[in-house]
Amino acid sequence: MQMVSGRTSKRGSMTTTQTDAADKAAALLTEIAENRSRAAFSEIFRLFAPKLQSYATRQFGNEQTAMDLVQETMTNVWHKAHLFKPDRGSPSTWIFTIARNIRFDLLRKNKKRKDDISADELWPILSEQNDSLDDGYALDHDVLMQEISHYYAKLPDAQRVVIEKIYIEGKSQQEVSDALGVPLGTIKSRTRLALKKLKELIVDND
Amino acid sequence: MIKSHPGEGLLYQYVSGDLSAAMTLVVGTHIDMCKTCRQTVCDIEQKLCEENLDTLVSIASSTMSKSQCDQMLEAIFASSACNKQVHQPNELLSLEGRRFTLPRTLAHNSHRIGEWSKLVGKLWRAPLTLDNGNQTNLIYMAPGAKVSEHTHKGLEATLVIDGIFNDEQSEYRDGDFILLDPSRTHTPETQNEDCLTLATLDAPMHFTSGISRLLNPFSHLFFR
Ligand SMILES: [Zn+2]
Repeated sequence: MQMVSGRTSKRGSMTTTQTDAADKAAALLTEIAENRSRAAFSEIFRLFAPKLQSYATRQFGNEQTAMDLVQETMTNVWHKAHLFKPDRGSPSTWIFTIARNIRFDLLRKNKKRKDDISADELWPILSEQNDSLDDGYALDHDVLMQEISHYYAKLPDAQRVVIEKIYIEGKSQQEVSDALGVPLGTIKSRTRLALKKLKELIVDND
Repeated sequence: MIKSHPGEGLLYQYVSGDLSAAMTLVVGTHIDMCKTCRQTVCDIEQKLCEENLDTLVSIASSTMSKSQCDQMLEAIFASSACNKQVHQPNELLSLEGRRFTLPRTLAHNSHRIGEWSKLVGKLWRAPLTLDNGNQTNLIYMAPGAKVSEHTHKGLEATLVIDGIFNDEQSEYRDGDFILLDPSRTHTPETQNEDCLTLATLDAPMHFTSGISRLLNPFSHLFFR
């Protein structure tokens, strides 16, 4: 039996460049989802296809299979962009989990029988069903209000402004989006990153 | 409060897609039930994405040419949304007059749950058909059920979906994920409450040798 022994999470603090790139990709995904924009998709494709190809080549050591992974992953991005949830993770993480699923199925392709389980059934990330998993990133409200004033000044500007408006001025994410003229998806991802960062700061300083 | 979780190594393999289908299902169902592991999985996804996708520089020789890119884009725009015949998730499970709510991943695979059969004592079993060669079962123990003492080799994971069972070492409740110590025999039993568990006997693909020799409280009855 294995028990969890105090996992302290120090992973995943993003740099400003990464945050900008994530904001941009999130905006492109929204554009694809809402307007079926081929231009936005072409841009996403240019950003991710080479990375996916490199990842897949390392995984399979076979160029054709690698290309299959790139094409299947990006096909899902084109058709399923509306299922990207900015408050759950960054665009590249979402695309990575799609690629992970495609890889899982490609690795089993030869052995697979018709009724065998597929990756989408094991990791239902592209399910249209609106499963209600509660958001793992919500902070305990009381703790938040006490701690937030100590630490939010340390956030990157873009995130700090969002946190200020939501948690101090009490605005909704939509209102912040309107006020700043920034897409809702971006506000959601900034909120998520800021809460994550705050959590790290709080844990580190306890 | 869930007290027994998959180890971090197992969660990494879950995220990278390197576990067997059966182990992925059991770990995934635990994650549905466990907020702590869900957050860890989010962190791991981000970390693995950074390592495998974000920071990768394309190897010059294999970079896609412009015409390859254009071709692929065209094919993607021409493709129709692949609406595979998906089974409706069903989160309700009725058995022996009890109704259970299945966690998300299991609900998505409810069509894979086979017929229930009654075994000795107060035990029921329904197999899950996942793919070739694995043995995964839902096991229901009525109150006062007891599995006789035994040993068995082979990696097994057990997840409590609903209820309580105990062995000589501890008591396990909703969400507890258990890999058992190979050095002891176990006698799983229920007391006043019943217990629904999900159990699989199979080895993850890249496991180190030490862990693959584990004891399994149920395998004597269910996996022979
Ligand atoms: Zn857990």
